[in-house]
Amino acid sequence: MKKLLLISLLLVVLAAFFASTHPDGLDKTAEKLGFAGKGTERHSLFTGYAVPFLPEGVISTALAGTAGVMIVAGLFFLSAKYLRG
Amino acid sequence: MHIPDGFLDPKIATGLMGAAVAVLGYCLARVRAAVTALVPAQALATAGRGAQSIASGYRRVLTKLGEQKVYQMGMAAALVFAAQMFNFPIGGGTSGHLIGGVFAAVLLGPFAGTIVIAVVLIIQSLFFADGGLLALGANIINMAAIGSLACYYIYYYLKKVAPEWLAIAVAAWSSVVLASLACALQIGFSGTIGFGQVIPAMLRVHAVIGITEALITLAAVHLFRSMAKSE
Repeated sequence: MKKLLLISLLLVVLAAFFASTHPDGLDKTAEKLGFAGKGTERHSLFTGYAVPFLPEGVISTALAGTAGVMIVAGLFFLSAKYLRG
Repeated sequence: MHIPDGFLDPKIATGLMGAAVAVLGYCLARVRAAVTALVPAQALATAGRGAQSIASGYRRVLTKLGEQKVYQMGMAAALVFAAQMFNFPIGGGTSGHLIGGVFAAVLLGPFAGTIVIAVVLIIQSLFFADGGLLALGANIINMAAIGSLACYYIYYYLKKVAPEWLAIAVAAWSSVVLASLACALQIGFSGTIGFGQVIPAMLRVHAVIGITEALITLAAVHLFRSMAKSE
């Protein structure tokens, strides 16, 4: 089971290197139909899947993704701990 | 397919947020009931746990299998989060990425699967500014409630009359297409753009992205099952 967590992290690193930077289906549709401008820019800790203290790039994306994987998995692991009492 | 804030009318977005809370509340209750068992407090006290609640008679505790399931949900969430970062080009300067709703529901059941996708969407919105905050309800309805919960039943009923791989593939493809249809309808009802423009445009592009969803879901289900078995 722990292997799956490692695979997730590997996937994050691969995504940092190879993921397409083209807009996704919805964003592209919005661009094409001319309502992309209606979307409001939001900012958060890891805006654009980058960490705030590094220049944008593969390392930054990989770190941000690693944090995301840890947060989502951690939430469930913590719930297991909480439910166990 | 993460809707940013601004694409939806605030009234519609708020209504969808309410719907999302209702769906998630129901799913959470079902998952909690599935992973816990009512145990007499007396038994817990002799086991050295929950001594303070002897008076209450019964207590809910996580079962061994339930604990395993919650951990599996964590693993699935990690995989879905990572996979969603992996945008692949589908031509025409457009990319797509996995939703993972059918993947999670096939492995963990519809209610746990819905929770997994919703948690991923919530973290993406809060920490990564991926998908709007007010639009979070719409995104949860589209990708978790429709993409996972509803499309699980496409898989469930199709599996009875067709091989499982085909049921998975059709459900996965449908999850992307139906989620994109819901997304287009919400944008249309918000008056952002006409239905006649947004519905065909969204369906066309997501019919292609759905094919990759089907292929990746098949591979990922196989991987997860063989891994989960090995330990």
